[in-house]
Amino acid sequence: MSKRYREEEMMRKSLLISPEVCIGCRGCQTACKEWNRLEGVKTRNTGTFENPPDLTPALYNKIKYVEVPSEADRQRWLFVSQRCMHCGDAGCMKICPAPGAIYRTPEGAVAYSKEKCIGCKLCVTACPFDVPRYDNNSKISKCHLCVDRISEGLPPACSKVCPTGAIRFGDRDLLIEFAKKTGYEKVYGERDLEGLGALYAFKDAPTLYGMNENPAIPESVIFWNNILKPLSYLGLGGAVALALIHYVAFGPHNEEEVK
Amino acid sequence: MNNLIRKAGAFEIANHWALALSFFILTVSGFGFLFHLEQMNSIFGSFSRMKLIHNWAGVIFLVSLLLTMFTYLPVSVSFGKDDIGWLLKAGGYLSRKAVLPPQDIINTGQKFFFLVFLLLGYAISASGLIIWLAAGVKKWVLLSHLIHNISFDLLLVIIPVHIYLGTFANPGTFRIMIYGTVPLEWAKKRHAKWVSKMGY
Repeated sequence: MSKRYREEEMMRKSLLISPEVCIGCRGCQTACKEWNRLEGVKTRNTGTFENPPDLTPALYNKIKYVEVPSEADRQRWLFVSQRCMHCGDAGCMKICPAPGAIYRTPEGAVAYSKEKCIGCKLCVTACPFDVPRYDNNSKISKCHLCVDRISEGLPPACSKVCPTGAIRFGDRDLLIEFAKKTGYEKVYGERDLEGLGALYAFKDAPTLYGMNENPAIPESVIFWNNILKPLSYLGLGGAVALALIHYVAFGPHNEEEVK
Repeated sequence: MNNLIRKAGAFEIANHWALALSFFILTVSGFGFLFHLEQMNSIFGSFSRMKLIHNWAGVIFLVSLLLTMFTYLPVSVSFGKDDIGWLLKAGGYLSRKAVLPPQDIINTGQKFFFLVFLLLGYAISASGLIIWLAAGVKKWVLLSHLIHNISFDLLLVIIPVHIYLGTFANPGTFRIMIYGTVPLEWAKKRHAKWVSKMGY
């Protein structure tokens, strides 16, 4: 299974999130909790309907409420579904030191195995979207695109329950085509990070919805992956080779030779 | 072989072995993490256990490193004209018949190695501790992850050279790590300054 998503591109699945048709009912949050058997978390009212305030180990997805009042539209309210973006080139998978802890499903989802997770939390630092959380046992916890549903041909719980079509699930190519046909020239996540598994049909600039314009894996992680990793065995091999060459060319320091 | 001179004490020998063995364990498990070597499961049991062993071997490495400092730091920072002479002759390693300036208990190359190793050792230990104890703190862990891997790469170059120079390249040296003693005649040739300081 490759880390990047290329060979199975044709059958890659994804979500298409359309904030313009989201009514902020949060059925997706509830459905996710039900399907994944995640317990509720007690929170405090902080003067907003956005609740809970952030993703937690028991909250894989949430609706972000963004108020953007303007002259033209005094009550503009944006609802943005947040979750793991299932990046085509995922920072978490790149940095993870435990084989099989974070893996790619045939549908293109970035899923994980709590048994294989070693609890180092490196994935937290390499995620461009600040998604992975850790449960009480120090194991990774995040949206896995309902890997146990999509492998059976069912849509993820959030998309299944969405009453307005704000979260659609399907073939990635078809969803992009659909978004473009319905008037969204630019689909957020179409190309970023070798294509995101959560596409967004934004009417305005992504930043208005609280999204990064150019999401990227931290440069230090890319440098480490492309340069430092191969350099480790090349350097070791080089040093051993140098010692061998020296031994053949000059030989050991013998006592007769040392003055 | 009656005339032996003690170059390293029992504590120093034990400490060097602790440093060497912890480094070996750290390197093997480090490669396991770096390249997802599933074969490590048969050595360490699981990657979770390998992480635990890696972390605690790191602690042993750091403690051993701290103790090492007392042994050679003072002599390692004292450079003189004999050191320049040694460097100009590349330590005699690039010729079969080099005449070298008299050396202290460790030669110029060993001084440099000691200082570089100390620096890299502390860099890899400190960054490792941050990755372990500040897990999830993005800014610190990313920086530490970078430092940890850069120092790893550099250590993988200097340690094989150190091992080669301490064994095959200089016959008679490795016994220091076992007995701590060397023949007086050998020491006179290689560490003349030290031998005369010792009163021989």
